[in-house]
Amino acid sequence: MVDIVIPEKPPKKTKKSMMTKLANWSRISSPWIIHFNAGGCNGCDIEVLAALTPLFDVERFGILLKGTPRHADVLVVTGPVNEQIKSRLKRIYDQMPNPKFVVAVGACAASGGVFKGCYNSLGGIDDVLPVSAYIPGCPPRPDAIIDGVYKLLGSLKKG
Amino acid sequence: MVIELAKILVFPGLVFLFAYAMFAQWLDRKLYARMQNRVGPRFIQPLADIVKLFSKETIIPKSVDPVLFRILPYFAFAAVATSFLFLPIMDSPITSIDGDLVIVAYLLTIPTLVLSLSGWVSATPYSIIGGIRCLSQLFSYEVPYFLSLLTPALMLGTWNINEISKGLPGMIVAHPIYILPVAVAFMVGIIALQGKLERKPFDIADAETEIVAGPFTEYSGRLFGIFRLSLDMEMIVGVSLLVAVFLGGVYPFSGALAIVSYLVKTIFVLFILAYIKTAVARIKINQMIDFGWMVLAPLSLLGILLVVLLHMGGIL
Repeated sequence: MVDIVIPEKPPKKTKKSMMTKLANWSRISSPWIIHFNAGGCNGCDIEVLAALTPLFDVERFGILLKGTPRHADVLVVTGPVNEQIKSRLKRIYDQMPNPKFVVAVGACAASGGVFKGCYNSLGGIDDVLPVSAYIPGCPPRPDAIIDGVYKLLGSLKKG
Repeated sequence: MVIELAKILVFPGLVFLFAYAMFAQWLDRKLYARMQNRVGPRFIQPLADIVKLFSKETIIPKSVDPVLFRILPYFAFAAVATSFLFLPIMDSPITSIDGDLVIVAYLLTIPTLVLSLSGWVSATPYSIIGGIRCLSQLFSYEVPYFLSLLTPALMLGTWNINEISKGLPGMIVAHPIYILPVAVAFMVGIIALQGKLERKPFDIADAETEIVAGPFTEYSGRLFGIFRLSLDMEMIVGVSLLVAVFLGGVYPFSGALAIVSYLVKTIFVLFILAYIKTAVARIKINQMIDFGWMVLAPLSLLGILLVVLLHMGGIL
């Protein structure tokens, strides 16, 4: 018998290449969002829409609202996920191209809120999807939503 | 050979077109934002969008025709990039032949056809409706657009873009009455270009409040990036064509300063386009067809009629 020796792979270079840096910078500079209501009371949705008005002007940060999940980078979800909308939310998430992030807006999206323990709802978005940022509040102010997305981008910058 | 290649690929060819398209998109969005009392995007924003789209995953859905779905964006890109070669940016265009006005007009039609076809192969209700709207729109603005381009060509009796842009200022200085048909045709050309680029009020094909993103609904990542880039470039090509045909190209200057007059004139037209975009809301598809055939087409015919009458009246 011949001993099969598997050579060890050289350790990967930790230094990021130029292209990776450029791609990372572009992701931070141009987050396009898609807004989805997963069974919320519509309170958070009004605040999300208010955050997109000319008063706050999120286009300063390159944030644009897109209609189709194929173009979006950040999925902004409100409401506790109820049983009926669970599969739809999952499908919307699957339709988004990688890399993608989920932002949970409001108390319900973060923990189930007042709907926690209901027979028809789950305890927040993270029961279904991996969530990158939670924005608490019932509903959170538009400033808080913008700040949450901004902090998510800041965490991306760190790596 | 090397110089020709550098002209085609770098300046005033592909790289310049890319850079100017990025600038024009920023200018457009910034003016749009300022007119809405917003701050608007950063200067680097369009570049960041494109780089991001190119670095994202590209999803090919199961229901689409994979080959057609992949190659369609490149068709739009190639058509737009080719049509830019005929336009006078410096003293003379990179290549110039008799009848290149017709070539550019037809090359500029290809992105619209590609758009409707891409909506069709995407095989989702939104994209199919978007594709059909694209085509119906095409029938309303294409005829006025071609007729308005025909007006200066008839005046000077040539189909060569370079000769038109060189000859028009002298002709208007010699016979100021010719400013009338040119003004009418320029107005029609601007409005028809707005329809060609699918901007407000004619953004019926990708109306985001009704049909999500129209023909682009299923496109993601790199393929969508190429589409977006080719539409931005189409804006520059369309604007440059209007400048060359109606505003005398690089008229007052020549040599190295020609680029300055080109930039000033194109930015002027871009400003008008942004102003129209801000001032109006989207109209319905039937209203657009009515507008195209009842208002734009007669106006462009009026321009041609004026030229014919002036020729018959013995001026020139």
